[in-house]
Amino acid sequence: MDRKKPEKEPRELPESHEPQEGAHLSRRDFLEGAGAALVVAGGAPKLGVAESRTAVVAPQEAEAVPRTRIRLTVNGTEHRLDVEDRWTLNELLRDHIELTGSKIGCNRGECGACTVLLDGEPIYSCSTLAVWADGRAVQTVEGLEQDGELTPLQQAFIDHDAAQCGFCTPGQLMTATAMLNQNSSPTAGEVREALVGNLCRCSNYNAIVEAVLASTGSGGAP
Amino acid sequence: MSQEQASRPLEAMNTVGRNVPRIDAYERVTGKATYTRDVRLPGMLYARILRSPHPHARIRSIDISRAEALPGVRSVVTHETHQLIYSSGSVAGGRQYNDAAKDITTHLRYMFDNPVRYVGQPVAAVAAVDRHVAEEALQLIDIDYEELPFVIDAERALEPGAALVWPEGNLALDYQNQARPMVRRVGDVSAGLQAADRVFEDRYTTAFVQDGQMEPRSALAEWHGDKVTIHTPTQGISNCRHDNARDLGLEDHQVQIVCKYMGGGFGDKNGSYYFDLIAATLAKEADAPVLLELTRKDDWLGTHGRWHTIQDFKVGVKQDGTVTAIQMHGYSGMGPYLRRSGGISGIEVYACPNTERIIYPVHTNRMVSGNFRAPSDPQGFFAMQSMMDDIAYKLGIDPVDFAKQNMLRPTEDVRFTNYTMEECIERGAQLFDWQGRRRPEPGSDPGPVKRGAGMSFMMFRSGVGPSSAILRVDSEQRYTLFVGVTDIGPGAKTTMALIAAEELGVPLSQVEVVWGDTDRCPYSVGESGSRTTTQTGYAVVQAAIDLKEQIAESGMPTGDEVLIASATPTPSTQGRRRMCFGAHLVEVETDVRLGYVRISKYVAVHESGRILNPLPARDQIRGAALQGIGQALHEDLLYDARNGHPLTAGYYGARHLTHMDAPEIEVTFIETDDGFGPYGAKTVGEAGIILGPAAVANAIFNAIGHRMRDLPITRAKILEALS
Repeated sequence: MDRKKPEKEPRELPESHEPQEGAHLSRRDFLEGAGAALVVAGGAPKLGVAESRTAVVAPQEAEAVPRTRIRLTVNGTEHRLDVEDRWTLNELLRDHIELTGSKIGCNRGECGACTVLLDGEPIYSCSTLAVWADGRAVQTVEGLEQDGELTPLQQAFIDHDAAQCGFCTPGQLMTATAMLNQNSSPTAGEVREALVGNLCRCSNYNAIVEAVLASTGSGGAP
Repeated sequence: MSQEQASRPLEAMNTVGRNVPRIDAYERVTGKATYTRDVRLPGMLYARILRSPHPHARIRSIDISRAEALPGVRSVVTHETHQLIYSSGSVAGGRQYNDAAKDITTHLRYMFDNPVRYVGQPVAAVAAVDRHVAEEALQLIDIDYEELPFVIDAERALEPGAALVWPEGNLALDYQNQARPMVRRVGDVSAGLQAADRVFEDRYTTAFVQDGQMEPRSALAEWHGDKVTIHTPTQGISNCRHDNARDLGLEDHQVQIVCKYMGGGFGDKNGSYYFDLIAATLAKEADAPVLLELTRKDDWLGTHGRWHTIQDFKVGVKQDGTVTAIQMHGYSGMGPYLRRSGGISGIEVYACPNTERIIYPVHTNRMVSGNFRAPSDPQGFFAMQSMMDDIAYKLGIDPVDFAKQNMLRPTEDVRFTNYTMEECIERGAQLFDWQGRRRPEPGSDPGPVKRGAGMSFMMFRSGVGPSSAILRVDSEQRYTLFVGVTDIGPGAKTTMALIAAEELGVPLSQVEVVWGDTDRCPYSVGESGSRTTTQTGYAVVQAAIDLKEQIAESGMPTGDEVLIASATPTPSTQGRRRMCFGAHLVEVETDVRLGYVRISKYVAVHESGRILNPLPARDQIRGAALQGIGQALHEDLLYDARNGHPLTAGYYGARHLTHMDAPEIEVTFIETDDGFGPYGAKTVGEAGIILGPAAVANAIFNAIGHRMRDLPITRAKILEALS
């Protein structure tokens, strides 16, 4: 590829980074704590098969960042890990527990593609820090299917073609799952109200509502 | 078949014409579908882009030393370190658009440009061990900007004394590198206006609309020696490969483009883009795979959306309702770089013998405009068919009758492969109960909630053309279909499989599809122009016919044998127009106290040839119609004229539709088989978005008796019109 400049001179990374006077104050500068390796321990899963996993982390050549040890259950598997204080729950799930089902559509609480359940409540995992999930139970879209059985809601999404591009689908499924846990026979209006925080730019809204209703046995044929 | 032969319901075939769940539906509902950002490579770095905070500025100096010194930073690139031209130039880059034009264009698009010409233009990028370090490094890049005069309004940009986006002027350069408007004249518009009993003049405007697909753009690049693999969400891996190779100074075979699942496109993901090049450059410099992620705001301002327009009409009409002349002079705001044409359609669906259309694609210091689902159409149809609706009421003619009186029909000179325009309108009027819902006297409901009905109609190209497919069968009767498609949402992968299954006469479960990877798939036209089904689908039919002939000749393969067939057909309609047709009829309730508009009924009738898979086809129309409603009532990208800054970048600010805003869309397909495309299938994806703005605006007029001429039709505008 064409380059305007000749080869840059090799450079060495300084050993430490001193925040400069007047420089942007980052979460890194603000928070304090000690770095530690990330460990994912197989806990005592309530569901499924016990597993012990070590998550992949980025090389720790960057400056140590404050971390906090937390314990949380994800899809029935207990994890004990040291998380960076600045990680969102979504980063923890997608980048460090390898559950990439929840999506980042906006990373600022507008679209709902990152929705997961925290103790059964739908939350935006992009706007929730990982440390806030300490001691709590997280369910993601990967945790819906049990023993190879899709939930009626997932099956209805397939039958009613509720996923076009599929990017918002994990969030729609999680919010709808939480709603159905509270209200097993919602009206179309109640479904729309519950899902208002989950955008679908394919605008497949009609089919999503039909699928949710069909999963309860009250919907019509596709 | 004759052009106006009435259509009959088509019987379902073995696989085609039945509701078939997507072959990848399981992956989509379990989180197993792998989108670009779900790909993880060992040692992968994360990258972020720094963007211009100014609408127009020269970069006096850029100092990256503090960013480079930040631990964890692996590479920083700017216009001083790398000057690459993306999409190979300025005029509508992309192989399918015009390779020759790219050699002569002088408005080059650099990966990083100086001066910067819009808020959000890339100025530098950083690759680091994680995204937090990359984001922090951006803050440590010191740039000294010299702010320059800027222009935001497309019409003012052409006035004398306007700030210059480009030194030679603000009128965009065309395919011949000439600054001149797009002109199309038929007949003699002056004579047509003179022959008219009445001449109507009006101005309509439409707003910029971001495609806003849910998956923000990203690119993951990895070099293997002098070959680079780029995982990137693109609507067309073949064209993306060609353009990236050209931009990187490589041969096509040195670039591999991979796109498995994609979170929507709508034209935002046509071809290649600068971030592919930035990711490749950073990966080369850092000698590691680099995942470049655009934030939502990056994506909103740093990609493109539908061009905003100003349209001035003069329409001449005889007292009996015959249109004698249509003149439209328009401005399309393209931002500082011409990514697509800036066209404005709508006139060509009328039979009027005297028309003149002059469009000025204008450069401004707004963000770039480009393709969004039917790029030239909803904005044009809104203005043209609002104009015609207005004239119909002023002449005391039912708008449906006025449309049927003046719409383009087949003649000896204008030949169609088939024609169902009238049938679409009549079916729609009947299903909608047009006579019952329309107010003969607009605004006549007592209120405060007033109802009204509006309609619009369209014909939209559904051409045929080249593409490729490869089919293989082994001794276990497993069929593998290789097609270079990506699935942006309509279900292209499933459609290709069911076409193969139909033609081969085998169950769908016996067909496996290999897709979305240029190293494994042959050329495909790309998911733009609603052409995948008609073009690549037709290639699949031809490959399957070839394979069947081979099997008939030599029998099914045994043992380790395989049979392989391929096709690259170049079909033609021999001068006939192949169009899809549609009519939308809308009823609204408008609360005149609040200016609030609710869609109370929406009927969409479409003829898109044979419908291969009814469920996803229906949802293409429903989703597109809802996007049209969003354009009609909600979406905008407002700029502060004082400082050139965008104010509503994002779903919330631009007010994209939510579940609560989405009415039920009733879809009816009129099915035909005109003998072209795979089993007579035509275009679906773009057709549904064209008619919403016009039909909604016409319904609002019918409800409140005031013509709303500026999109989006917000509550504030309605209240202002009523006051």
